[in-house]
Amino acid sequence: MIEWSVLLAWIVKATVIYLGLVNVGALMTLAERKFSAWMQYRIGPNRVGPFGLLQPLADGVKFIFKEELMPAGANKMLFRFAPVIAALPSMMTIAVIPFTTKDVVLGGWNIGTFSIVNLDIGVLYILALGGLSVYGLIIGGWASNSKYSLLGGLRASAQMISYELTLILTILAVVVMAGSLDLQQIALSQNKVTDWNIWYQPLAFLMFVVATFAETNRHPFDFAECEPELVAGFHTEYSSMKFALFFIGEYSAMTVMACLTTTLFLGGPSVPFLEDPHWALQIAAFLAKAGFFLFLFIWVRWTLPRFRFDQLMALGWKVFLPLALLNLLATGVVKSLV
Amino acid sequence: MVIVKRKELSLAEKLYLPEVVRGLSVTFRKMFEKPITRQYPEEPLEKTEVTRGQPRLVVKEDDSIACVSCGLCEAACPAYAITIDGGETDRAIEREPKRFDIDMLRCILCGFCEEACPKDAIFMSDELELADYSREALIYNIEKLKRPQAALQQRIDYVKKINTRWQTPSST
Amino acid sequence: MANALFYLMAAGAVAAALGVVLAKSPIQCVLSLLASFFCLATIYLLAGFQFLAAAQILVYAGAIMVLFLFVIMLLNLGNPSSKDGAEDGLFRRKGAFLSVIVAAATMAAGAMAVTADGLAPATQPMPEHGIDTINGLAGEMFGRYLLPFEAISILLLATAVAVVVLAKRDRKDAGKGS
Repeated sequence: MIEWSVLLAWIVKATVIYLGLVNVGALMTLAERKFSAWMQYRIGPNRVGPFGLLQPLADGVKFIFKEELMPAGANKMLFRFAPVIAALPSMMTIAVIPFTTKDVVLGGWNIGTFSIVNLDIGVLYILALGGLSVYGLIIGGWASNSKYSLLGGLRASAQMISYELTLILTILAVVVMAGSLDLQQIALSQNKVTDWNIWYQPLAFLMFVVATFAETNRHPFDFAECEPELVAGFHTEYSSMKFALFFIGEYSAMTVMACLTTTLFLGGPSVPFLEDPHWALQIAAFLAKAGFFLFLFIWVRWTLPRFRFDQLMALGWKVFLPLALLNLLATGVVKSLV
Repeated sequence: MVIVKRKELSLAEKLYLPEVVRGLSVTFRKMFEKPITRQYPEEPLEKTEVTRGQPRLVVKEDDSIACVSCGLCEAACPAYAITIDGGETDRAIEREPKRFDIDMLRCILCGFCEEACPKDAIFMSDELELADYSREALIYNIEKLKRPQAALQQRIDYVKKINTRWQTPSST
Repeated sequence: MANALFYLMAAGAVAAALGVVLAKSPIQCVLSLLASFFCLATIYLLAGFQFLAAAQILVYAGAIMVLFLFVIMLLNLGNPSSKDGAEDGLFRRKGAFLSVIVAAATMAAGAMAVTADGLAPATQPMPEHGIDTINGLAGEMFGRYLLPFEAISILLLATAVAVVVLAKRDRKDAGKGS
């Protein structure tokens, strides 16, 4: 039987991490609007609460009170189910992210490292579940019985398949470096700042970051939505909280991808120039690094124009795939020689 | 026909990445520049003498309006926003409007009524905000249209000034 | 608890598999297959094979089924039309007959495997390293079972090459015809 303190520690960690994830998602909607405003000489939302900080709350209330529409000819069950499929997997993937490599001690109570579970196959878990959220987009697009939605779903699926390859191959290079699929081990293997994978795998890092943009359907690869061509893509027909769920899914996926990039390439919770940092410092370092990548998502979105779909495919299959394969080969050869 | 030759991209531009970084640096720098947003209700637009807002009826010092319900503004109005019913009074000028309605939802703020008025009774005010909960509330009657002369003085002076150009030098 | 979950998932897998062959719309077939994969992955997890479960979801649910959905949506396959009913009926009867045979054979094989191994796989002692961890699995796969593994790889490669060749020839023929 599981010990009570272990169970309690687990509940505490899960609560904190999931509340954090949902709140980061909500704050990201605000951050997106604020940063885009600043980049365009505007002010951004500033009416609700100090500096508009309560804007996500107001948006949430508005979403709840919006009318729910059901398009004629839609597959009712799948139409209702799709937003859940879009949001749930990407929220589940945060479970294996190691926010600390040291045990967290709260007033003498050791609750273990700050991650919900420590899976032997953490990387695979994230990839397997993260890849599923695309079903939400495909099914949502198909069940809406609308041409724009269907095209959006189609694009999402094609894009996901193309860039999952790059994503997996670049992650594999990191796995070869660390010799483990356990994210905790991967983070531990880059404890010193000179050991960070970004110095050894710059190409993989670059391709990984670009692939995360494609994986999460973010600019400049947001072809599943693509307003000028597809109205709003797969969620054209959605309204109310169902629509909001798609957004929660997207922002959760972004958050997890930012955390994953941090863990794989920037040493996760490792603090530069500190051999044995306190666990709180580790969490702070992790959040700072992940925060940068979240900012990067916004930053790139408001800088670059959208690609063309064929450019996206060409980039994925003709450039990134061979490069990632070569990178993996080189990593393997060098690793076996050293 | 002009044939535009497409510029050959350099290697750095083909790699795309240096250009991405350049673009990112531009947007990052712009983040710290002063926003040009006008916070509208708190920072209203400046009102100058040429501001042409909603039409209003001038109330003279003796609390009367100059309108004699001649109907010229009603005829001039391109949006058919004005409705006038005339009536008699005991004053020296015997006519006054019994009803003078302007449908603010129809009014296009063109100022034709102001130009048409032979009695200088109607002027464009500097009031621009228009919001209410029903359409009926936005059909303004005489009482709602009345404004003291002081409130419209800037516009009255301006109209008189620009109208001087039509006055021929007196030949009498 | 684990036993109950196992039987639930097993029933779910069978029901979903039935859905694959019985559903009218191709999209529903694919989604049923997906549900079946999930039930299987859960059963792997119950048996302690984390890697297998993750690989099942990653490869089959995450990639191959997305591709299936993509193709079905791209070709816009609707419900099968009942125009050529006679031929269709014959084909269906043949197909049903074959399915029954295949299902019977599979069940027989499964029954043999179960009677040989005992019912509850989770209580079985693992091989020496235990193949629930990656190290163990990799050791088994690239050590003891290296030859079968490579054989399967070559088979898959040959299939991929064959598919490309077939697809290319089709296109060439079409080009000549027009």
